[in-house]
Amino acid sequence: MKWMLTLMLVLVTSACTHKVQVETKEPITINLNVKVDHEIRVKVDKELDDLFSDESELF
Amino acid sequence: MRAKIILTTIAAACMSFSVMALSLNEAKSQGMVGETAAGYLGVIKGSSDVKKLVADINKKRKAKYQQLAKKNGISLSQVEKLAAEKTYKKTSSGHFIQVNGKWVKK
Repeated sequence: MKWMLTLMLVLVTSACTHKVQVETKEPITINLNVKVDHEIRVKVDKELDDLFSDESELF
Repeated sequence: MRAKIILTTIAAACMSFSVMALSLNEAKSQGMVGETAAGYLGVIKGSSDVKKLVADINKKRKAKYQQLAKKNGISLSQVEKLAAEKTYKKTSSGHFIQVNGKWVKK
């Protein structure tokens, strides 16, 4: 009887741990997107700097 | 003979480049052109010469923007917006920028 109770307790605990992992997945993906966006922004910003440099006829 | 022709062509290209750069700067300081919020030059006042210069530069700018958009996997309008921020920052004081559709001296 005591053995069964321990087994159930372990199962319940592990199930809970699993649920927490699923919940944390989404925010991590969003952060990753923001990071990529920022990198592209910085990259394009630098390339625009080159485009509008002092020798440029376009600015 | 051939070398002379090539040299003349190069010299002519250099001269036309400097003339255009000068006239753009002149047009800017005389308040004929300014930077719009769309990342392109706008005509404030002036003759067909100014309009032609602005159209020519905007065409070249657009080609470069499109190239940048494609290279970085973003839309043309996103590049235009970033470019507008950049041109506003780089505009020297006394030259014109467009704010809420109105031309203001920076």
